[in-house]
Amino acid sequence: MSSIRILTTELAARSDNSLRSLLAARPDLISPPVPDFAALAARACARVSVARALDHLSQPQMQVLEVLHLSTNEDLGQSASAGSLKPLIAGSTTAVIEAILEDLHARALVYRAPDGSGFLAVSSLKDVIGLHPAGLGRSYPELVRTQPLVGARLLQTVQALHRFGAGVESASTALEAALAMQSWVSAPGLLEQLLAAAPETTAGMLSRFSAGAMGAVENAQRTVRPEAADPTPVDWLLARGLLIPLDNEHVELPSDVAIVLRGRVIIQEFTANPPAPKLQRTSASLRTNAALGAIAELLRLETELLSQIRNTPLSTLRAGGVGVREVRRLADALRVDTELTTQLLELAALSSLLVLDVDTSRWQLSQTGWQQLPREQQWLWLATSWLAADRAPSLAAQWASRNSSPSAPSSPAGLSRSSATSSPSGTAGGTGPVNALAAEAHRPDAPVLRQQTLSIMAELSAEDTSNPDTVPVLDEAAILSRFQWRRPRLARRLRRLLAGFLREAELLGMTGSGSLTVVGRAVAAGTPEEALDVLRKALPQPLTHVLLQADLTAVAPGYLSPELTAELSLLAEAEGQGPATIYRFSPASIRRALDAGQDAVRILDFLGRHSATDIPQPLRYLVEDTAARHGKLRVGRAVSYVQSEDDGMLRELTQLPALKHLGLVPLAPTVLISRVGSRELAAALRSVGMSPAHTEADGGVVKVPKPSPSVVRSAGPARRTGGEAPAEAEIAAQLAALRSKPSWAPSGTEAAPQLGLEILRQAIRLKKSVNISIVDSNGNHDQQVLVPLSVTGGRVRVYDPEREIERVVSIHRVMDVELADLPDGKRVTQ
Amino acid sequence: MTDGPLIVQSDKTILLEVDHPLATEARHAIAAFAELERAPEHMHSYRLTPLGLWNARAAGLDAEQVLDTLLKYSRFPVPHALLIDVAETMSRYGRLRLEKDPVHGLVLRTDDYPVLEEVIRARKIEPLLGPRIDPMTVVVHASARGALKQLLLKIGWPAEDLAGYVDGTPHPVALLEEDWKLRPYQQLAVENFWAGGSGVVVLPCGAGKTLVGAAAMAFSGTTTLILVTNTVSARQWKEELLKRTSLTEAEIGEYSGAVKEVRPVTIATYQVLTMRRGGLYPHLELLDANNWGLIIYDEVHLLPAPIFRMTADLQARRRLGLTATLVREDGREGEVFSLIGPKRYDAPWKDIEAQGYIAPADCVEVRVDLPRDERMAYAMADDADKYRLCATSETKTAVVERLVKAHQGEQLLVIGQYIDQLDEIAERLDAPVIKGETSVKERQRLFGEFRNGTIHTLVVSKVANFSIDLPEASVAIQVSGSFGSRQEEAQRLGRLLRPKADGRSARFYTLVARDTLDQDFAAKRQRFLAEQGYAYRILDAKDIATTG
Repeated sequence: MSSIRILTTELAARSDNSLRSLLAARPDLISPPVPDFAALAARACARVSVARALDHLSQPQMQVLEVLHLSTNEDLGQSASAGSLKPLIAGSTTAVIEAILEDLHARALVYRAPDGSGFLAVSSLKDVIGLHPAGLGRSYPELVRTQPLVGARLLQTVQALHRFGAGVESASTALEAALAMQSWVSAPGLLEQLLAAAPETTAGMLSRFSAGAMGAVENAQRTVRPEAADPTPVDWLLARGLLIPLDNEHVELPSDVAIVLRGRVIIQEFTANPPAPKLQRTSASLRTNAALGAIAELLRLETELLSQIRNTPLSTLRAGGVGVREVRRLADALRVDTELTTQLLELAALSSLLVLDVDTSRWQLSQTGWQQLPREQQWLWLATSWLAADRAPSLAAQWASRNSSPSAPSSPAGLSRSSATSSPSGTAGGTGPVNALAAEAHRPDAPVLRQQTLSIMAELSAEDTSNPDTVPVLDEAAILSRFQWRRPRLARRLRRLLAGFLREAELLGMTGSGSLTVVGRAVAAGTPEEALDVLRKALPQPLTHVLLQADLTAVAPGYLSPELTAELSLLAEAEGQGPATIYRFSPASIRRALDAGQDAVRILDFLGRHSATDIPQPLRYLVEDTAARHGKLRVGRAVSYVQSEDDGMLRELTQLPALKHLGLVPLAPTVLISRVGSRELAAALRSVGMSPAHTEADGGVVKVPKPSPSVVRSAGPARRTGGEAPAEAEIAAQLAALRSKPSWAPSGTEAAPQLGLEILRQAIRLKKSVNISIVDSNGNHDQQVLVPLSVTGGRVRVYDPEREIERVVSIHRVMDVELADLPDGKRVTQ
Repeated sequence: MTDGPLIVQSDKTILLEVDHPLATEARHAIAAFAELERAPEHMHSYRLTPLGLWNARAAGLDAEQVLDTLLKYSRFPVPHALLIDVAETMSRYGRLRLEKDPVHGLVLRTDDYPVLEEVIRARKIEPLLGPRIDPMTVVVHASARGALKQLLLKIGWPAEDLAGYVDGTPHPVALLEEDWKLRPYQQLAVENFWAGGSGVVVLPCGAGKTLVGAAAMAFSGTTTLILVTNTVSARQWKEELLKRTSLTEAEIGEYSGAVKEVRPVTIATYQVLTMRRGGLYPHLELLDANNWGLIIYDEVHLLPAPIFRMTADLQARRRLGLTATLVREDGREGEVFSLIGPKRYDAPWKDIEAQGYIAPADCVEVRVDLPRDERMAYAMADDADKYRLCATSETKTAVVERLVKAHQGEQLLVIGQYIDQLDEIAERLDAPVIKGETSVKERQRLFGEFRNGTIHTLVVSKVANFSIDLPEASVAIQVSGSFGSRQEEAQRLGRLLRPKADGRSARFYTLVARDTLDQDFAAKRQRFLAEQGYAYRILDAKDIATTG
């Protein structure tokens, strides 16, 4: 019976609680909702869903599943129980395997065999788990069946071995040869004996196959004889059929051999509990210091970055992303390095503080009101956006730092940098540099990996409670090894991103001195809001005063309110980097403020109001002196002018109501200016009875400042959407819907095509023919008996035994499939 | 996190809020490893430099203590990167050690094999080293001790110098503390110096650096070589030593252009040492003439380049550098530290002033408007002439006259750069001029008369910038200077800082032509003093009569 049918029955029989935990573990099963249990079972067996479920299995779970997969055969009804799996997994106990099997069962990845003897894996597992489960190759019979070149060669080898007197049964067909080899190598003690007589380096050579079953060998199909003298290890192995050439370049170690080499187990290392890494320690106060410092610094820099971009939006490259020159300009303005600048930019963009204006291809400020938020809220915005972001900002930042070598000596005094900074991670997988904000840094799996990494960090920190004054430093290797245990299938993807994650987490204060912080724990638990209280206390209230000094500086001893910062930045140049900012006044900066419409009285009044002390005399003098001499030359805009020696007449013109719209203003005796064009001016003057002469003036054009760029509205920080456990209510609704339907109603439901596919795949494996009902382009049904050969890309390749041809049928034209009852129809030969 | 007085910035500066109750405590704590950079009225700023951190290591402080201090007094979280940087920097010190080996003499030894490998491969260092004794030790040529230390510092692996000092020929010197006492900061400076071996003591002008030198000699009790800037200064040192110590006329020698005496205590001028004849320095032998136990460098910020090189060979002798303004326009402060030794004592001028040991000073910048014709001349002049034109404006002369009148009866100096200008002013004021061509004898006579009040006004050129002790001068008018020299400005103010008998404050005027190069240079010149907390009031020339 097919796995979908069995699973349907099983699922329908489950309790609500059991279903609830299944749906919580595999939320994709009901997104979108399913109509009935058959559809649910079909979806649970779908390749994509199984792959997703495997991503969330731990190493022992994966190992048990792999072993189960290897030691069962769905088609033959061969199932396995914990007891039968235990001997294949070194270091395991029946109870542990039992528990894991139950868990896998709860996740609907395995089902109970109909006879109740044991478990079977769902059929699509084969496709998801790959060719080499548990690092093992295929068995002799399977190699013969699937690899066209293997059969003939194996037959030759077996015959040669038989003649050589190695104790192999003789064989006349490829399959017989395979079976002969299988029983030969698994005879107790035989392989050990054989290897003892092998050339010296053979054992070392075989050990290289422990991770992967395939190897590359030149001229793999050479003829070698078992009796040849002084063979190389490869020749020796090939001659004995212990390595099977797949083609002329590749060889595979059959699983039958590998299992014997592994001591007749499949899994050699099995740890039911995660390995506990040895972690360095740092002091709790250092950690808090580092994290709070990082948060304050991040918010300060981000604010400064935004105000820079407000003035000059960032232009993009034609190839996408922001070019290195723009980044460098920003970095100079912020007085930080380009790597940090890139990270800040990315963070601003993924928090939608910056948006790309598609008309101008420029990144500019969005109107989010972020800058007006209290600082802890600003942080929350950035942190939640980061968690949800499907980008890996550090991929873009990496190239920015490629040339800056990390400092070598290890740091004493219990300090530790997040391990991320000490490992010069390679560039984006050899794909060349990724520009800031370029599409290449897009990583859809980033939110999941980020969440997993954080929870693993929380887990590692929680395990360590030895000393409350010191906290463990979570280095990259420790996190990765735990990740490898907890989520082996995701770990590979994390490897390249982890360093970046850690760097970003450090930037956001989730780690400090390499250790997870209170803030980080709250974020890991999925409740970053809980960190707000801590931050509210740790981030002091904004100051509203500065210290004015006689050396023409104003020192802001801490975080200044944004309005005060804006005003001071106009009056003086900001200097320094850190919690306090020093503003330096100079004639140029005061002039800038005067240009912006300030005057001496207002400036002094402002300074007086926000100064903790009196305004020093030199500063007062500077402001007054600069103001007194400001505007000796004036620049303005006039479109046309009227000139006359008759001053009285000009005065008269300015008074005439009919000429009001011309905006005539006396500029000096004998000259009026107007804001309309000279032609219009002349016409207007004529209309009141004057007769002006029109002269063309040649003068420079006065440039006017561009109006500030428009801002684009954005809703708020991005939140996580996919990948989360579904809400309780959703699950409840789904359960109610499922319970209201009969448990098995395959036709016309979502399950039907899945079932059809499953039957096709089964037929392919068993080389059986199927009864298939196909609709042609005219809508006519046609029932045929065909032998399916392969299913890919929505098409099935079939062999038509009657017409003796191969053809391809689209799956959507297949209305119904069932295994043909005819006991073997005609054998397919290729 | 406390509500401390420090704000530690990520750009490696530390701000100290002066009015905070813990400010003094914090200042003492960080002074050991951070350099005071600016000391304006509310917020002093210190800088963490590798050199400062290494000096702290040399003085026995370790990274943990430094970090603790920062964390303890900081108001906000301390940037983590900075903490790591401090720890890493400090851990570099002492991986290499200069030691005396009983067999091989001076050796460079390490516990960290790769560091030694790196160092001996440096191109410039290789020639200074002798054969390798074992994997961890290499012989150093004795004469290369200073040069090696300097180069190691440059490549970031400062060596800990454990090779010690030669004792020198004993020659007891005692301080005669009869009607005076060594001031607490002087005492502290000498103790710090002696504990550290060699180094620089920075004290404001008029704060009694000579006495620090004398006290160091008393501590040492050996023959001493004192290097000074000029002959007048040499004579002042001699007088001061005769007055304050047990030394007699016969024990003190002068080695200058005029006299060449080598005695247990010898005072030599930089000039005579660096005099060159036929490609040789004939007077350099002086350095080896006696087994000096102590070498004192007066006004170490002026140390000429050849002396730098020679000093590199004197590393086995104790060295004391004295200065008020350790800023060099050539930016070679670092070399002073690596060759003489680290800064052993530094006090903000305002601190000493607050303790009453130097006179408070009121600095006034007077802005004069150039008359129309001079402005035209200035606008059209070549760049090379511009500064001279605006600095020597005639209107300044008139302002000087007004100021002199306002300060009638006080001892007043007019200081300038351009001789023509000074001559003209002297003529208008009917006062004597001291300039380069004035003989030493004449100078001493005029200074003497000024000191005892026979003359009230003295016009001086830059010859009086340093080391001239004029205790009664209370008003100085600077009419022009050497472009933007910060230390010149400070030294000129320093002439006024001897505490006055009646506790008056000193008045320092600097005349500046508005809207010209003069104004830009003035701003630059004032920076050192502004950073020391001297605030310049700015007045317009036309307001003088009312405020003077």
